[in-house]
Amino acid sequence: MELGEEELTASVKRYYKESLKHSLGQCDFNFVLSDPRLPDNPIVYASEGFCSMSGYEHHEVIGRNCRFLQGPDTDRRTVLEIRDAVREERPCQVHILNYTKHGNPFWNLFYMAPVYSRKDGTVVHFVGVQTPFSAAAAAATAAAAPLASKKLNLMDAEKRKEARSECLQQIQGEAPAGLCVSLEADEEEDNHKCVAKDEDKGRAACAVQTILCNLMENSRIGGGGRGVAETRCKEIAESAVGGVVCSSLMLSLTRIQQSFVLADPKLPDIPIVHASKVFCEITGYSQEEVIGRNCRFLQGPDTDPEAVQKIRESIAGERACTVRILNYRKDKTSFWNHLHLSPVRSATGEVAFYVGVQLAMDIVDSAGDENVGMTPYMKQLGAVGAVKVAVRSLQGSGLRRSFKKNSEE
Amino acid sequence: MLTIKRVATLVSINQELEQAAGCGKDCLGSCCMPGAKLPLYTFGRRRSVDLLKKKMAVACSTNDGDNGFLDSLLLAQWEDRMDKGLFRYDVTACETMVLPGEHGFIAQLNEGRHSKKRPTEFRVDQVLQPFDGKKFNFTKVGQEEVLFCFEESEDGTSQYYEKAPVSWSPNVIAINVSPIEYGHVLLIPCVLDCTPQRIDPDTFLLALQMAVEADNPYFRLGYNSLGAFATINHLHFQAYYLAAPFPVERAPTTLICHRWKKGGVKILELGNFPVRGLVFEVGDSLEDLANAVANTCIYLQNANIPFNVLIADRGGRVFVFPQCFAERQARGEVEQEILDTQVNPAVWEISGHIVLKRRLDYESATEESAWRLLAEVSLTQERFDEVKKHCLKSVFNAPNKVKVEMPTMDSSLHLMGMSGVALNGQSEHCLVLQV
Repeated sequence: MELGEEELTASVKRYYKESLKHSLGQCDFNFVLSDPRLPDNPIVYASEGFCSMSGYEHHEVIGRNCRFLQGPDTDRRTVLEIRDAVREERPCQVHILNYTKHGNPFWNLFYMAPVYSRKDGTVVHFVGVQTPFSAAAAAATAAAAPLASKKLNLMDAEKRKEARSECLQQIQGEAPAGLCVSLEADEEEDNHKCVAKDEDKGRAACAVQTILCNLMENSRIGGGGRGVAETRCKEIAESAVGGVVCSSLMLSLTRIQQSFVLADPKLPDIPIVHASKVFCEITGYSQEEVIGRNCRFLQGPDTDPEAVQKIRESIAGERACTVRILNYRKDKTSFWNHLHLSPVRSATGEVAFYVGVQLAMDIVDSAGDENVGMTPYMKQLGAVGAVKVAVRSLQGSGLRRSFKKNSEE
Repeated sequence: MLTIKRVATLVSINQELEQAAGCGKDCLGSCCMPGAKLPLYTFGRRRSVDLLKKKMAVACSTNDGDNGFLDSLLLAQWEDRMDKGLFRYDVTACETMVLPGEHGFIAQLNEGRHSKKRPTEFRVDQVLQPFDGKKFNFTKVGQEEVLFCFEESEDGTSQYYEKAPVSWSPNVIAINVSPIEYGHVLLIPCVLDCTPQRIDPDTFLLALQMAVEADNPYFRLGYNSLGAFATINHLHFQAYYLAAPFPVERAPTTLICHRWKKGGVKILELGNFPVRGLVFEVGDSLEDLANAVANTCIYLQNANIPFNVLIADRGGRVFVFPQCFAERQARGEVEQEILDTQVNPAVWEISGHIVLKRRLDYESATEESAWRLLAEVSLTQERFDEVKKHCLKSVFNAPNKVKVEMPTMDSSLHLMGMSGVALNGQSEHCLVLQV
């Protein structure tokens, strides 16, 4: 799904004043801002330093997810750490092998931190700071340290002997070409474990602080917002109660290429808390016009009250239902909507939302070969399933880790 | 002969019934399958490779931001069966939480999964057992429980057919009627071959291909050998969705094969985790990964060591856990407290997703109690080191050739004072295996 330039610049404009560009421009750091409320958490701002570090032009970077920096030897577990930090909406710091546009690998001390809205505690952006460091220099430091680090694979003479005979045994077997391993660590090529020097870490930490300060100082107050902060002002659970969809749930929802809305039955009049882009395209309404309102604005003069009643009864009974209902777009034109409604439960096991997936019938009637590819009805169900998987783990506090308070601290 | 008594999980409705062959229903046996038409998803082998290589493209322009085809299909079909009431309970109504602590063990209270049937005896000291047609197997599953068949396409693209004539012995994706999570399915390769539960390179490759095709880091596949809590002795894998990392995926790893050339399988050892295991990471060949894992499992099978396998990270990381819980249980070596929870530690539990049958266990669950349970599953460090050596040998010595990330020849050789050894007339130098 292509993102419009408007959306990307709006992401920055909505929360920060014009002065931000100037003050960030003064910083000599490599960093990006990404927006997890847009599909696939794309970069919405990139510093000059980032572009010269990565070798990409500015326009090649804006609108894309940062993963283009990864390459063949990037450690998979490290990528999981970053993904998990985005999912848990918390900071992380990793040593990751990245690649420039021309395919040259470099070690990157990557630091990521969320930026929260002061109004409702949601994550509005992630700041990602890249600090390339020299692996060889880091290895030299590590080698100098007297610790018997596993990475250095120091083995005593006995083990060496044992291992050598082992190897000889293997040769007697059918081994294609010995299997084995060097006894010496060469940290430069060991992309499994590579640690930056303390001064690099210091530089990175300083960069993050400076950028966060800049963001806060230049944040936009007014128009309903109260600026941004580096710590969350409201607990996730609290925001959820207010009908706010957290950023990690949003990231999952924006992957679904169907028309659907989520409505919160625990709020008065069961308002919509999320509407997909396709929904907006079909109905002609914008997301702002729709969020906070009950779905009934889609009904009109010729809508069958029995269909509405069926919907009401299903919600009361916490059941799924499918109805064919006449709906109206913003421009007052009508369309037959094959609506599938289903309760969606969170990790507590209780109903957190109702998902309504719309199917405009004029699209269906012009379907091609019925046997090949997924039918529109099936795609509707697929959207329901995807929502259920996402909400179960990501709604409210969901399946996030919590850390015990250590009494020894 | 060592046995334990436990209640078998009900994975299919017909498991409860006594069905003879020639059943008259729409099952998956040779009585009903010829001439049958089932939904079919074909995946492109080349596409699998592309998806794998996607990660390697320097300027990756392919869209990673939308749900994939197989993903949407599987979820759609599963939701459809939910609507039709084919599951024994609504798994999304089961409470679940992450136990406080850094590891993030996931506990679920699932009182409905437990079947009220009386326990049956399971032999725990024989990992390879012959297929027994008289016992419940997947040819007896009703066709309505099948979501679709899963076959390689001829032209390298992926496509879905609502009704296609079934091949002689199709690979079938069926629902698990006692799901652990949303989307819980069974992958049954070549259902009519009636293969017993055991790993081989071809069917393992199929499982990997499914993971690659689903292209979703929260969709994992798992395998339990006999003696490691497989319920049915008919070759199958399980899979489901959970939008959270498993603790085992977070665990740190240490490279066993150190220093490499690009493209081969990486083999690592798990650290800081209650169950000792090996981790295999893909290089640029899915086949090599399949062979490496399969060779390891074949060794374990032949050595009669029960084990579990987890396929994670879109088919890019595979975890192999040799285990001994059942054996210890049979010998009366497991704490009664742990036995009382009636948790059978199979691949999902070992990975850190623990389904509990009793509320009191759920409410008193902690990271420590989870760790304690899983520690009982693991081989001891000594035993594991032994097994590991044999596994690594079998990865390279077995008939299926595997390309592993290989060391480069360099000055370190001279430092060690080792002489080169010629193999097959090639001037390969042999370095030493780190154990």
